[in-house]
Amino acid sequence: MEKSTLEAQTLASAIDIGMIDLKIAEFYVTPGGFTGLRYGENDHNRITLRRAFPIGNPEEYISVADKTNKEIGMIRSLSELTKKQYEIVVSELEKRYYSPTVFEVKSVKDKLGYVYMELLIGKEGAKYKKNCAIKDVNKNIRMLDDDKLAIFDVDGNRYIVESLVNLDKKSLKRLEPYLF
Amino acid sequence: MKTFVPEYIISAFAAQGIDTSKFVYATHTDFADKSGYLDSYIAVSNEKMYILYGEEKVVKTSGARRIVAVYEPKELEIHDLSSLGELTLERLLSTGRLCNEQDHETSILLVFSIGFISDIEKLIKVVKNIRDGIEPLTDILVDEELFCHKCGTRYPEPNRKLCPKCMDKVSITRRLLGFFGHYKQKVIIIFLTMLAGSVFSMITPLVGTKFFFDEVLMEEGSFYGYILGAVLLILLVRAVGVALNILYSYVLARTVPWIVQDLKLRIFEAMQRLSVGFYTSKRTGSLMNRVNQDANNIYWFFVDGLPYVVVNLFTFTGVIILMCVLNVKLALICFVILPIAIIFFRILWSIFRRFHHKNWVYNSQLNSMVSDSVNGQRVIKAFAKEDTEARRFAEVGGKQALVDIHAMNTSSTAFPLIYLFMFLGQVIITAIGGIMVLEGEITIGTLLTFIAYLSMLYGPLEFMSWVSNWWARCVDSAQRVFEIIDAKPDVTEPDNPVILDKIRGNIELKGVKFEYDPATPVLKGLDLSVKAGEMLGIVGKTGAGKSTMANLIARLYDVNEGSITIDGVNVKELSLTLLRNSIGIVSQDIYLFIGTIADNIRYAKPDACTEVVIRAAKAASAHDFIMALPDAYETKVGAGGQDLSGGEKQRLSIARTILQDPDILILDEATAAMDTETEASIQKALFDLQRGRTTIAIAHRLSTLRDADSLAVISDGKVVESGTHKELMEKKGEYHKLYTIQLEGLKVINMEA
Ligand SMILES: Nc1ncnc2c1ncn2[C@@H]1O[C@H](COP(=O)(O)OP(=O)(O)O)[C@@H](O)[C@H]1O
Ligand SMILES: [Mg+2]
Repeated sequence: MEKSTLEAQTLASAIDIGMIDLKIAEFYVTPGGFTGLRYGENDHNRITLRRAFPIGNPEEYISVADKTNKEIGMIRSLSELTKKQYEIVVSELEKRYYSPTVFEVKSVKDKLGYVYMELLIGKEGAKYKKNCAIKDVNKNIRMLDDDKLAIFDVDGNRYIVESLVNLDKKSLKRLEPYLF
Repeated sequence: MKTFVPEYIISAFAAQGIDTSKFVYATHTDFADKSGYLDSYIAVSNEKMYILYGEEKVVKTSGARRIVAVYEPKELEIHDLSSLGELTLERLLSTGRLCNEQDHETSILLVFSIGFISDIEKLIKVVKNIRDGIEPLTDILVDEELFCHKCGTRYPEPNRKLCPKCMDKVSITRRLLGFFGHYKQKVIIIFLTMLAGSVFSMITPLVGTKFFFDEVLMEEGSFYGYILGAVLLILLVRAVGVALNILYSYVLARTVPWIVQDLKLRIFEAMQRLSVGFYTSKRTGSLMNRVNQDANNIYWFFVDGLPYVVVNLFTFTGVIILMCVLNVKLALICFVILPIAIIFFRILWSIFRRFHHKNWVYNSQLNSMVSDSVNGQRVIKAFAKEDTEARRFAEVGGKQALVDIHAMNTSSTAFPLIYLFMFLGQVIITAIGGIMVLEGEITIGTLLTFIAYLSMLYGPLEFMSWVSNWWARCVDSAQRVFEIIDAKPDVTEPDNPVILDKIRGNIELKGVKFEYDPATPVLKGLDLSVKAGEMLGIVGKTGAGKSTMANLIARLYDVNEGSITIDGVNVKELSLTLLRNSIGIVSQDIYLFIGTIADNIRYAKPDACTEVVIRAAKAASAHDFIMALPDAYETKVGAGGQDLSGGEKQRLSIARTILQDPDILILDEATAAMDTETEASIQKALFDLQRGRTTIAIAHRLSTLRDADSLAVISDGKVVESGTHKELMEKKGEYHKLYTIQLEGLKVINMEA
């Protein structure tokens, strides 16, 4: 038993995870609106940012890939970035992982395997109503942790209920049959 | 000229002083990059593209109780189409961006959430059509195809034409009853005997109580003193009632199983008809749950529930009418009490339905877990995770138990309360009726009959409350069953299928795009062609989309864009049976049906004789391992049968295909799970099989593609290189790289050996 853990350690540490050296990295926004990265001698004018743990740990282990989807390296934690760099990276990430917050669940109808929901989504001060259809509720209405809920509709949109505890009573009651 | 411009978008743009009369296409998208999340409207005319950023505010208008959306424009962008370069679409995870590619520079025009991607795709197509100088809306589906013909609701999934709104509980029940249609005579007999039975039970109090008390026991009654006759009459009424009951139960028992059998068959047939996509989009656990559990729910409801519903409804109305006839005043008092009870029952009903739904979901989770752990036993054991699995199971099971407990608690408090309430009603009636008897308004017989009738109401009421829960379960089940029956297969037989005498096997794929899940493209514009009788080798990394391509050629799925033609005919126009019979796929994952090895080999040609089966097995190098099994060709395989290794299964699958003798052969890593020696021996069989047939061979090991007439390298859903082995080696690209890597690998092995 002991031996196998030892082996696992060596196995895992044998691989270089390839962190980006933030000292020589500079993220910037191109005139066309894309995000680029100057890294040492190289200038990548279009990069893709992906989260390794988009649900449980969105702020850490960010993969940076170039135009051809080849990984340049990873950022261990967004907190290691300077404020300006942080803003650039986060705004690109938010575009990729855009998921509007659900403020209210106005109605829920269960019809023939589909659940139709009327949601109030958006952000503080700019909320709007959205109708969506969800199929396979076991799969597409998911608790992310004890309090956070994600809803995926048939179009591929995702909506997040930040906190069930803070949701109003009526909305919660409407969602309740689908929470597991 | 056809245009598609929604009214609300016109008014939003018109408010900006824009001439909207030239708009040909417009759509709403939901958020823009510039100043946070916004509603943007985007429109194109023949010369320009307009983007309006703003916010749809939800406001409550004073007075009216309705909430209305008001559009607050923020910013307007106008682009001349001539000043824009090529418009492209980029998909991110939950967003997409509309980009403008010009002079090797790309800039982002618009960012939107992924749900709008098909609308933006249409927009790009419209712009392209305008630039090509053709009718702007050519090849663009708007409206009609996306909406239900009956009610106009948008299909939740455009390629699954299933409208959930057109299905409600009543119509589901009506449809269920529709299954009785084929058994009209028996159903009529059942109905008549049931109704007659309840008529007899309804007149029992009239005879047994009112007649007995008022006419037999009373001095002024017309049959005063005829006790024996009266008792015999009462007995007779009762006996006829019972006889009728026996009769209808008998007929019922002989009818309903057939009806349910019908239903089960319909489900099973529907499942055969459905496209592969349906199965991959649902968890198998819940699908299995559907067929068995749901059909059973419906069965028991038909046998044990529905007939009593009819009887009880009839009795209920009958008794109410009789009460009114007996004494209107007393009946009216009852009518005040009854609705309150009904409201009680309805509330309970909705609560129970919820519980049931939850219970069902947990149940199917548990089922999935059981099948998961059965199928994954080896992995579970290998990682010593038995306890974890048990814990996971206990967790869900525990949750289900809580739901059950909650349901039971609710019923065990609610029902006694309702009974108390009913008893109260009876007491009130007795008191008021008693006064009426004393005052000579009604006879004693009337009061007693009335009370007897009142208690006859409780039965149906109680049953209805309980059966409504049951009915709910049945409707819930029926809803899911009909989902299977109604689901329109994505892949459908054309109306006028083209039937070719002989498929020669010229295959051509043009700009094929395909996605399993919305907005995650797997094939992104794939072009390929194979000449009749030639062999095309395909290489590429795992996940590149090779198997997907094979499935598309056999039309297990339909392409989203582009076309696949065989001998110049689009596969969508070919007869499905012909197509599938002429294509043989030896695929990566092989399914063996429950049955013997011989049955499995002759799956495509069930009438093939024994010798042919053995020959096919020999050709596939399967004979030797089959003979090593105790029951040889009669070894049972499939679920619960003999376990075979991956390579052995592949050999059976090859034998199956050899026997099928298809015109087009697709080998999807057909020999990947075999050792090199077996592979080499099979190669020969395959080579014989390939001769003269169009063959598409997908392989990891490039050595297996030695004989290919041409080769294609697929990467990321596209063909990145194609040509002969020689051409590709000279090109020193992707293929060259793969080839040298594998060659190096072989050298190392040889040196070590
Ligand atoms: N039934 C399915 N549903 C959703 N995605 C799928 C399905 N089958 C395959 N995919 C995805 O499609 C891509 C291509 O798969 P496949 O054609 O099997 O690749 P290959 O055969 O080249 O290894 C993969 O990313 C895979 O995850
Ligand atoms: Mg494959």
